[in-house]
Amino acid sequence: MHKPIVVVWSLLAATNISAGMPGGVAQEEIFHARDKVMPALVHIQPVIKNYNTGELEKRAVIGSGVIFHPDGYVVTNYHVAGKAERIICTLYDKEQVTAELVGGDPLTDIAVLKLHLEGHTGKIQVAEFGDSDSLQVGQYVLAMGSPLSLSRSVSAGVISTKDRFFSPDVRLPSGERTGRYNLWIQTDAAINPGNSGGPLVDLSGRVIGINSRATLLANNLGFAIPINIVKETVHAILTEGKVTRSWIGLHCQALQELEEYFGTNRDAGVLISSIDPGSPAEAGFLKAGDIILEVDGTPVSARFVEEVPAFYNMIATHKPGTEISLTVLRDEQTYTFKVTTRELGQLQGEDFECKEWGCAVKAITRQMQIENQLTDTIGVYVVGVKRASAAEDGGLRPGDVITEVNNEQLSSLGNFITLYNELTSTGTDGILLTIKRGGAVRFVFVKIDHQDKESADE
Amino acid sequence: MNRKNVSYAGGTLCLWAVWGLLTLTPGKVPAQDFDFERLEQMARNFTVVIDMKLELSFGIHTTDQQERYLGTIVTEDGLVLFNGMALGENVLAAFSPFTVKTTPTKIEVTTLDEKKYDAEYLGVDRFTQIGFIKIVGDENERFTPIRFQTGRHFEVGEWLTLYMLLPEFVNPSLASDVGMVSLVVESPEFFPLTVGFSSLQMMSVLFDGELEPVGVLGALLNPSHANTDAGGMLESFSQFGIPLLGVVVGERLEKLIADPPMKGQPDRGWLGISLQALTPEMAQFWGLDVSGGIIVNDIMSNSPAEKAGLAVGDIIYEVNGGQVAVDKDENLPIFQRLIAELGPEASVELAVIRRTDFAADTLKLFVALEKAPLAATETPTYEVEFLEFEVRDLVFADYLFHNLKPETFSGVVVAKLKRGGLANVGGLRLGDIIQSIGNVPVTSIEEVSAIMKSVEFEKPREVIFFVWRDNKTLFVNVKTDWD
Repeated sequence: MHKPIVVVWSLLAATNISAGMPGGVAQEEIFHARDKVMPALVHIQPVIKNYNTGELEKRAVIGSGVIFHPDGYVVTNYHVAGKAERIICTLYDKEQVTAELVGGDPLTDIAVLKLHLEGHTGKIQVAEFGDSDSLQVGQYVLAMGSPLSLSRSVSAGVISTKDRFFSPDVRLPSGERTGRYNLWIQTDAAINPGNSGGPLVDLSGRVIGINSRATLLANNLGFAIPINIVKETVHAILTEGKVTRSWIGLHCQALQELEEYFGTNRDAGVLISSIDPGSPAEAGFLKAGDIILEVDGTPVSARFVEEVPAFYNMIATHKPGTEISLTVLRDEQTYTFKVTTRELGQLQGEDFECKEWGCAVKAITRQMQIENQLTDTIGVYVVGVKRASAAEDGGLRPGDVITEVNNEQLSSLGNFITLYNELTSTGTDGILLTIKRGGAVRFVFVKIDHQDKESADE
Repeated sequence: MNRKNVSYAGGTLCLWAVWGLLTLTPGKVPAQDFDFERLEQMARNFTVVIDMKLELSFGIHTTDQQERYLGTIVTEDGLVLFNGMALGENVLAAFSPFTVKTTPTKIEVTTLDEKKYDAEYLGVDRFTQIGFIKIVGDENERFTPIRFQTGRHFEVGEWLTLYMLLPEFVNPSLASDVGMVSLVVESPEFFPLTVGFSSLQMMSVLFDGELEPVGVLGALLNPSHANTDAGGMLESFSQFGIPLLGVVVGERLEKLIADPPMKGQPDRGWLGISLQALTPEMAQFWGLDVSGGIIVNDIMSNSPAEKAGLAVGDIIYEVNGGQVAVDKDENLPIFQRLIAELGPEASVELAVIRRTDFAADTLKLFVALEKAPLAATETPTYEVEFLEFEVRDLVFADYLFHNLKPETFSGVVVAKLKRGGLANVGGLRLGDIIQSIGNVPVTSIEEVSAIMKSVEFEKPREVIFFVWRDNKTLFVNVKTDWD
């Protein structure tokens, strides 16, 4: 049904590129880069899970990836495969293999897969990672992947800019905020849905970025995660299974146009704009309006927004539990504050479907607590409520926090699951949930109609 | 607006009430037998056409709108009721900091004899959405008001008639219509439902077969948004978007007429709690022997509820000795209206169940109700002219909406922002809560006004605001433009 539109789009994109490519480009170089990376290209079909409707919903999606290790390791986007359960990969030789998730990092939107190559007879080719710090604006690049599911596609363009900044408030489809620690490479090589996770390649045939975002209703505005960021994330996933970051709970903004007000020099200092409640930064007496001049004796600055992610990364790469010393300018005086970092931890907790009640909940992580203005991490967070379910009839809503089940105080998701399983197996027909909504406590009575349940089970 | 202008002979109204009680149900009159000619003669006395110019402000965009309403004169000195639904005095205004602010800027009243008067806007009743204006002009002029029947019994099958206002291009533009009482609803409130009328006829006076005015056409109200006791309702109970229309009865109207709502001066009683209904399932679960009540979910700081020692989890089952018959959330307005109508100075006795893990104690608490807090659209604003934006004080709805505590959080809210203006260009956003200006903390529009006066004197190149936005803070640099 969608096919005619898809074809028109790709034709249009192709016309654009041929028009934009001056005759001077060595065709040979493009062929060379193509041959080095295309054989390592992977078409990925994961099934992703979603609980937002109050029940587990599975959806097949399409993405791209690239093999970077002869044992069959593939890098792709977290939003493609980070929460997937059945992953089918089509290799360049059109053979299909299954894959498993090794690990993922929503903050850099990177996931690593391992292909199951036991039954695969063909040769595995590996792409080489380049260096994204030495890129030049205007440099030719190729984007490879499966735009709109059209596998093994190449598009060409130039690097439009190499330090594009996006607000760290942007969320992945799975709800995590992303992009706090990196900038993006912007390219006019056509990137469409389905290109996600595919490589952005320079003319020497090295991967210099992982394509991750396109702009709807725009012409050829695509964005890739710089490969040097990807390398760090991949290394952490392969060695530890995850990326461990330090957290002190401060937010910064560019100092530009505010230097005079805060009495600081150009290119000196990082402005703290906000402090998370209950964070190490708060405990360390830092406050909004402080200008951080040095971190452990190293001068820092963020005059422009483009410089902020690197500063966040500098804090994050400390080992959790490290005491860092911050030299701060406040009211024209210089002070030194000691702050002990804590592990950032997971952004989102694990999900659980309460089938009989008609809702889905997740564990509350510290980052969820801060984001949702909760007083603590006690209880479970309601992700979704199924329509016309017992939970909805009782008045449960997404965003509620369940703190007690039948007057029993909850501690963790595990504790909740135990209680839930107990109640469903004993066939209790009424459960009283104590919830928190905004600042208020409420009660939700979940009335189970067992006849209803039986007919549903049949 | 002077409050005195609208408080008039309460004694007369009492007499009306007595008279109303004595005239009980007249017989049914078939629709075709209505004496429409006599009705029109009668209606000439108290029916007016209201031309109202409204300013609609979305904060960043302001437009003017001309509206026409049918009005009914309800007192001798020119109090007029009309359909106030468009005026924004609804539940969203009470609970959300982001609503359209509608301000009547010019009101003209024309009688059916083509006499014209100016009028001032008083306010809209949150529970019925009935709006009130007051004719200004000759102090001694006396109008012939409508007198609603009270204490009337309604019968299913009985026909009612009303006048409605058609668009201006039709001449003459007053038309009549008939509808039937289809059901007399007892809960969530006493409400004779009708069929045959449309929501375009809202707040038209309804007459019975004897051509006695029995009320105005209104809608049965849905409390779905209202989980605190601070406001009224917006939504009508409806099926497929069709509201359940019926009679706002004489008793309710007489109360409103005696003490009409005044915008910005809420005289509703307020307890200061978030609440939900005690359902039979919950009562059974906790082993409580009551057939309904109000569960206290949250207590606003410094509220009458807090001062009286009410606690979260308490169940209010009696108010002034009367049982609280609320056993589902749909019936919450029974309690909300009771508290609202007791008024700001009322002293109220609450019978409360306080549960512990093992027992449930009953206790009596005395609460001195206070004035309901102002809605975002009711609170005054201060215009920072040279930076092209307006601020208002934080209101109850802001704290509730953003989950903030008044003890620990203060500031002023950016309520209006001129598109392309200096503040807008500088990066202030609608809804930002300004916590300090150039290092000086601000907690009220008076403080902003004082700071801005000195800024205007000093004429700096920029003004730095420290604002709260989306649960974080940041600095905003607004460049000035003096010349």
